[in-house]
Amino acid sequence: MPLLEVSNLRAGYGSVPVLHGVDMSVEEGSNAVLLGLNGAGKSTTLMTLAGLLPATGGEILYRGRPLTGPPSARVRAGIVLVPEGRHVFPALTVRQNLRLGAWTVRRDARRVRQNLNDVHSIFPRLAERADQQAGTLSGGEQQMLAIGRGLMSSPRLLLIDEASLGLSPKLTEQVFAAVQLINQRGVTVLMVEQNAGVLAQADTAFVMQQGRITATGSGSRTLEDEAVRAAYFGS
Amino acid sequence: MGAFFALGLFQGAVYGLLAVGIVLVYKAKRVFNFAQGEFGGVAAFCAFGLTVALGLPYWVGVVGGLAAAVAMGLVVERVVVRPLESSSRTIMLVALVGVALFAVAVTVLAAEPVPRVMPPIVEGGTVDILGAGILPQQLILLAVLAVLAAAMAWFFKTDLGLAVLASSQDLRAAQVVGISPTAVSRLVWGLAALLGGIAGLLYAPVGIFTPGFMTFTMLVPAFAAAVLGGMTSLPGAFIGGLAIGVVQNLGIYLLGQQLAVPGAAELGVFALLMLVLLIRPQGLFGKAV
Ligand SMILES: Nc1ncnc2c1ncn2[C@@H]1O[C@H](COP(=O)(O)OP(=O)(O)O)[C@@H](O)[C@H]1O
Ligand SMILES: [Mg+2]
Repeated sequence: MPLLEVSNLRAGYGSVPVLHGVDMSVEEGSNAVLLGLNGAGKSTTLMTLAGLLPATGGEILYRGRPLTGPPSARVRAGIVLVPEGRHVFPALTVRQNLRLGAWTVRRDARRVRQNLNDVHSIFPRLAERADQQAGTLSGGEQQMLAIGRGLMSSPRLLLIDEASLGLSPKLTEQVFAAVQLINQRGVTVLMVEQNAGVLAQADTAFVMQQGRITATGSGSRTLEDEAVRAAYFGS
Repeated sequence: MGAFFALGLFQGAVYGLLAVGIVLVYKAKRVFNFAQGEFGGVAAFCAFGLTVALGLPYWVGVVGGLAAAVAMGLVVERVVVRPLESSSRTIMLVALVGVALFAVAVTVLAAEPVPRVMPPIVEGGTVDILGAGILPQQLILLAVLAVLAAAMAWFFKTDLGLAVLASSQDLRAAQVVGISPTAVSRLVWGLAALLGGIAGLLYAPVGIFTPGFMTFTMLVPAFAAAVLGGMTSLPGAFIGGLAIGVVQNLGIYLLGQQLAVPGAAELGVFALLMLVLLIRPQGLFGKAV
């Protein structure tokens, strides 16, 4: 049974539909990538999964059951979004950002400590910068913080929206390596990306065009697919 | 002059308390809360009714008054603020002015619009400090402020307090970590109402009070204090309140008493506000944008 099964999902902004029936299925423990041009509806898909946008049709099955409820309930269920543009709390410290990441598990002090240790082991930089205001971090550090904050609530499914946006190739590589490590530790990952490098580590790739999934395949095969490469990465 | 200075500090502390409530709501919701004064008005009238009219112990009046203020805050949040969340800021502002006037009207109906005297928490003559006669009530005000300052400093270090700060910095990010915007909104309005209620209870026994006294005499200086402090700094708002209280009373002393200029208090506050906004448009503690 897949961890996440999306069928005929529709969503949009106000009366403007953006998703016209999205179908995708993500296996537990896998690392999936959602590709597509700007404006295809990738962020809209992740936001609908996270409960930040209402679905106007279709169905989301999570662990075999229909997924509904506000964002807080979905975080508690283990679905955590690392939003496009990082969205760290700029005037709070790194430590406070991470502490708030554990909001839904805050009463379980042991879990919070354990998760903080895990985050620090994946991103040692965040331990060094614990008392720095998040708004003064570099772009790469903010991205690490956004992902680290997402890990603080013990997610089962991590939705990461364009983690590589605006990062140097070297930082991008580091962030991808961290995501791979997170995935190897048992967290299912669904990443939205425009960077071809991510396909090498992906189990599954979905290609999105104008609010629909138009191709699904294994990561490496999609990487070799010249048409897909030309269309989505310009390389 | 020492007496005017001391009087200014005490009056300013009440402005500051109101201003902190105004800033709390502004930070969290980007809303100018014109009903902030009436949280204090309602608290004062409830406390008066319970103690003077019904003859219940003073602490019952205090608890009842604060409970009424918090209840009002939660009702305003649910009935006025939340339904208007997505409408323009002007509509929200007008609605909150409406809430203030409505609360004044209710107090006028419930209690006749005659001046009242709220007994102080402790009776007794003045103590001489700095050549100024200080009432025990004013010493209690100082103690309450110290406790409040410590409580606020502690609160904003807790998970709940951090959630309020986080929501004011990035509402989307707060939702992403699972913080409910509705819960934060309720918390902020409840807290602001509590602060307003405390301000009302501290101020009512200092002189005579009438329906609307908080809105018509305290709200404008409190807003000036909030602006002076930069609109987003809680300590800044409080210090702004102290500054306004002092300037107002020194204005009365220097211009009013010595030079017989009418409206000296208002003039002093206006001059201070203009001066600060000219030199530091972002307010004393605001961040430049
Ligand atoms: N807040 C919004 N209000 C209205 N339309 C939006 C909003 N956000 C995105 N859109 C529109 O939805 C479509 C899909 O956007 P998005 O999901 O962000 O694309 P992607 O992440 O694939 O680049 C675009 O046409 C975009 O203009
Ligand atoms: Mg996007």
